[in-house]
Amino acid sequence: MCFRGSMDENVAIKVENISKVYRLSGGGQSLKQKVLECLRHRTPPRMLKAIDEVSFSVNRGETLGIIGANGAGKSTLLSLLTKTIFPTQGTIETQGQVSSLLELGAGFHPDLSGRENVFLYGAIMGIPRNRMMARFDAIVEFAGLQDFIDQPVKHYSSGMYVRLGFAVAVEVDPDILLIDEVLAVGDAAFQKKCIDKMREFRRQGKTMLIISHDLHTIQRISDRILFLDRGKMLGLGAPKTMIGEYEGLTRRRNTEIYQREWGTGEVKITSVRFHDADGTERDTFQWGGDLCATVRYQAEKPIASPVFGFSVSDSEGRIVHGSNTQVSGLVIDQIVSDGAVTLHLRELPMAAGLYLFSFSVHSSDHRVNYHRMDNCFPITIECNRNFEGYAYMPSEWSIGT
Amino acid sequence: MMSRFKTMWRWRELLWILVCRNLKIRYKGSTLGFFWSLLGPLFLILIYAVFAAILRFNQGQPNYLQSLVIGICVWQFLAMCLNDSLYAVMGNVNLVKKTAFPRIILPLAMVCANVINFLLTWCVLLPYLLVAGMPMQSLYLLPFVLLVQITLCFGMALILSTANVFLRDTEHMLGIGTLAWFFLSPIFYPVRQQLAFLPPKLAWLAFMNPMTGIVWCYRRLLMGEAMPDLSAVPAAGVLTSLLVCLAVLGIGLFTFQNSQAKFGDVL
Repeated sequence: MCFRGSMDENVAIKVENISKVYRLSGGGQSLKQKVLECLRHRTPPRMLKAIDEVSFSVNRGETLGIIGANGAGKSTLLSLLTKTIFPTQGTIETQGQVSSLLELGAGFHPDLSGRENVFLYGAIMGIPRNRMMARFDAIVEFAGLQDFIDQPVKHYSSGMYVRLGFAVAVEVDPDILLIDEVLAVGDAAFQKKCIDKMREFRRQGKTMLIISHDLHTIQRISDRILFLDRGKMLGLGAPKTMIGEYEGLTRRRNTEIYQREWGTGEVKITSVRFHDADGTERDTFQWGGDLCATVRYQAEKPIASPVFGFSVSDSEGRIVHGSNTQVSGLVIDQIVSDGAVTLHLRELPMAAGLYLFSFSVHSSDHRVNYHRMDNCFPITIECNRNFEGYAYMPSEWSIGT
Repeated sequence: MMSRFKTMWRWRELLWILVCRNLKIRYKGSTLGFFWSLLGPLFLILIYAVFAAILRFNQGQPNYLQSLVIGICVWQFLAMCLNDSLYAVMGNVNLVKKTAFPRIILPLAMVCANVINFLLTWCVLLPYLLVAGMPMQSLYLLPFVLLVQITLCFGMALILSTANVFLRDTEHMLGIGTLAWFFLSPIFYPVRQQLAFLPPKLAWLAFMNPMTGIVWCYRRLLMGEAMPDLSAVPAAGVLTSLLVCLAVLGIGLFTFQNSQAKFGDVL
C-alpha cells in the first residue's frame, strides 16, 4: 500500500485536494427501486459532499488530531486513509504500514476464539504468522485476557472486546496509526492505558491521526489539529487555536435555535453590517470599544413613521439590552424604497462571549411588525477584564460607611 | 497479471485463515462437526438408492444410480458455491468497511472452503463407485476436471458476490436461476437425452451450459464404458464447456475488480 511518488522522506501522509461525494438515492439496493430510479431520471440525484477539497500533509512522527461536529467528515477521512473507500477526486499518498482503529475489534468474528481473532487480524494487516506468534503473549497481556483468550469472543464483555481490539492493533507495530474515537470506549483504567500507549508511540516517532470529541485529551496529545466542518477543512494548526475555533463554531451553531424571522414584509431588512467607527467590517469587538451596525432596508410601498429597533442577547437568549429609534428620539418621517439606518453602541459593557443581535422595523404604534429578525446576527466580544456576570458595571469599594 | 499473483501470494495467510474460519463456522456447535462433510454424501447415496429402487426412475438405464449420485455430488459443489457467494462479501461487512485488504480474498476463501468440502465428498464417493464396480479410467485427469469446475464456481462467485452488494434481489433471482440451471444440466438424466433434442450439428449448444461438459467428463472418467451414453459426444462439446468456464471466470474477475472500490460506499 505504499506509493512512492515525489513525496518528501519526512512526510508520512500527503492528502491532495480530495473530495468524497456520495449520491443520496431515495431508493436502495432493490431491483424495484433501481427501475423506479431509472424512470424518474429527470430529477437529478442529490449529492452529499462528505469531504470537500481537503488538502494537508502529516510529517513523520507527528500526531494530528481531527476535530469537528458530527457529520464533519472525520470518519470518512480516516476511512479514505485506510483505503476502505476511495476519493471521488484527489490523491492520497502514505508511506509505511498503516494500521487503523476505525472501530475496535472490527473484523473479529464472534464465533472464533480470542486467539483465532488475533491471528485473523494480523493476517488482515498482512503480518506474517510467525511475527504474530512472537507478539501474541504481549497482546494478551496488554489486553489482560490471559484466562479468556481461548473463549469465543461473543462471550466477551464489551470491555474485553475493545481491549483485545486495541491490543492487537497497536501490537502490529504500524508506522502510521489511525484512531477513531477510541477514547470514548472502555473504563478509565483502559483509557489511561490507551493514552500511555499513544504517548509511547509518539516517543517512538510514529505518525498518528486521532479523532476524538474529548477536546481536553486531544489538545494534550496532538502536535497539530485539523478542524473539519461539513466536509470542509476550516483550519489546521496549533491545538489550542483550533479547539478555540471549534468551540466558537459550536456555540454559534447552538444559538441557531433562538433565531426567528417574521413580519408582514411591507418593509424588509435586507442586510446588517457590523463595523467599527472607522467603517472596517468585523464581527469581533473589544469590551469597552464601540460598535456600529448599519441596517439596510427595502420598502415595498411608502411607509409613514416607521420605527427601527434592536436588542442584544447573550448566547442563552437572555436580553442584555434593547431599544429603538422612537425611544432614542430619532424621528423618521417616511421611508420609500431602499435606504439604511445605523446604530451606534459605545463602550460595550458585555463580558467575553457570543452575543446575538435582533433587529426589527415596525409601526410607530407597535401594532404592525413589518419585519423582525430575532437573534439572527452573532458577534463575539473579547474581554480581558475580570468580572462576574455578563455585563460590566463601573464599581468601586471604600472602607467604612 | 504477474503482480496480481504476487499480491495474492503475499496474502496467502489471510486466505488460509479465512478458509479455516469458513469451515469452522459451518460446523460450529455441532457435535459431529467435520464428520458431516462425510455423512452428508453417505446419506445422500443411501436415500437415492432407496428411492431410485422404489420409484424406478432409472427408465431401464444401466448404472443409473451411480450416474445420478455423481451428478448430484458434482452439482452440490456448484450449488453451495452459488449460495455462499451471496454472503462472501455481504457477510463480511465489518471487514470490508473497516479494514483494507484485497477484497477478492473473500470469494476465493469461500470457494476454497467448498473445495475442501467437495474433496471430503470424494472420500465417500470414490469408495462407493469402487464397490459398485465402476470401470474407472484415466483417473489422473480427474483433477483437471475439478480445476475446470472450480474455475466455473469461482467465476460465478465473483459475479454473484458483486451483484448482491449492489442489488439485493440477487438472492431471490439466484434461487430461481439455480433451479432452472439444475434441470438444464444432465443430473437426473443422461447427456444423451439432452442431445436428442438437438440436431447433431448443434450438439455443442447443449455444452454451452458448462455443467453439461463437466458432468459428462466426471462420468466418463468414473464410469467409463459402464454408461453407454458416454461415447457419442463430440470433443467440440467438451471444449465449448471449457471455454464457457474460462469466459465466466474472465467476466467475474472483470466485474469484481471494477466494482470492489465501491463496496465500502454501498455497504
